[in-house]
Amino acid sequence: MKKALLAAALAALPFTAQANPESYTIDPNHTFMYWEVEHLGVSMQRGRFERTSGKFTLDRAAKTGGVELAVETASLSSGDNVKGSRPRTLDDHLRTADFFNVAEFPRMSFKSTGVKFAGDVPSEIAGQLTLLGVTRPLTLKVERWVCKDNPMNKKPMCGGNASATVKRTDFGMKYGVPAIGDEVRLWVSMEGYKD
Amino acid sequence: MQELLGHPAVQGGIAPFATALVVALALFGARLGGLAVGAALATAVYLIGGFAFPPVSAQQKILLVSLAVPVVGVIVDLAFKPTRAAAAVLGLIFGVLVLWVGINVLRQKETTALLIAAGGVFALTAWLTSAMFALRDDPVRAGAAALALGLGLGVSAMLSASASYGQYAVSVGAGAGAFLLVQMLLNRNIVAGATLTLSAGVACGLIASGALLASPFSPYAAAVLALIPVAVRLPAPKGGLWLQAITVSIYGGIVALAACLLSWPGVQQRLGF
Repeated sequence: MKKALLAAALAALPFTAQANPESYTIDPNHTFMYWEVEHLGVSMQRGRFERTSGKFTLDRAAKTGGVELAVETASLSSGDNVKGSRPRTLDDHLRTADFFNVAEFPRMSFKSTGVKFAGDVPSEIAGQLTLLGVTRPLTLKVERWVCKDNPMNKKPMCGGNASATVKRTDFGMKYGVPAIGDEVRLWVSMEGYKD
Repeated sequence: MQELLGHPAVQGGIAPFATALVVALALFGARLGGLAVGAALATAVYLIGGFAFPPVSAQQKILLVSLAVPVVGVIVDLAFKPTRAAAAVLGLIFGVLVLWVGINVLRQKETTALLIAAGGVFALTAWLTSAMFALRDDPVRAGAAALALGLGLGVSAMLSASASYGQYAVSVGAGAGAFLLVQMLLNRNIVAGATLTLSAGVACGLIASGALLASPFSPYAAAVLALIPVAVRLPAPKGGLWLQAITVSIYGGIVALAACLLSWPGVQQRLGF
């Protein structure tokens, strides 16, 4: 019996040795969350948040990982940010309590609860999105994922793109529905450097 | 129909006014015509976002309290005889309540900014609650003050804060307008009481405070709006209810207009705000 246990432990040794979680810190200059929402049933309007921070871990051998993102909602940008003689820009309006309510809820966050892999790259990141003080499950589908050394500074880095769809009313953002769509498509472009 | 009910003017003004008119006409005989304001706000809440919400944000807390206040008003009117201290005590209660409403924003501020913001919204809500409550025995002036306060705050909020805050405030004005119109149609006073004055005073105090805390709403406009309950006390001609209602509504309207102008960015820049 003891021999069998010893043999099993020895057999598992190579695999445990391969388990190698790596942690990465988000590069804020190349990590952005984008949104897309229908406007008046006519066009799809897009915008993005300019400031995102966070970390992710990756263990390609064990096929596990985790992501934590914090998005500063006041940094949103729709492209309309020059007021001129108008009372406010679209960015100003999006910051009010009608939409992102940035004075009360300055951060939107995503914390993963599980990562699925396809081969040795992540394919789905399940987690919890917190927006306007409400936390709901969200699964990001990873559309591309690459790990390599930065060709300029030679630092090891990973990154890619992921997307998901949420209903903004689930988070209490009800203003303007249905004229301004309830379904919001989110994209994340993410890059991080190994710690 | 869905498209019609989705229009901001219908959600914030027309539908609340129609509901308030029905409520004021149906309930003035039971001394509850003042429920017109609560009915108007409830209509706007239903059409804009629905009633299903946990009180997470300041706006949700404002709506929760504002929808409950008409019930408090009915209790005050029918079960108690308010004493001299009632206006001050009610002001204090709702002044403290606004701190709970704004706690998420307030706790993110540094000490000095926290004290200024908390003191400002406390004073504004306490004052509007007390000053409106003090008009409870004068239904024409109470209706005119609530009309000017709701519309002035609504337009100011739409210009410089959030559109939904603006719509909710306009619905209060629409409810008060319906209350005033019923008096003009009947050519006699109907009871305003705490039911109308608390509904309008607390709702507008909380909405203005929410706009101040969460949006770039002008504190100067808020200060001017606070003068409306005083402005409607100016002397009015004794030539009948119509003339009196129109005159005191103009008094309140002029102050409301001044607040709207102060919320316009071009005017703010010229005045150096």
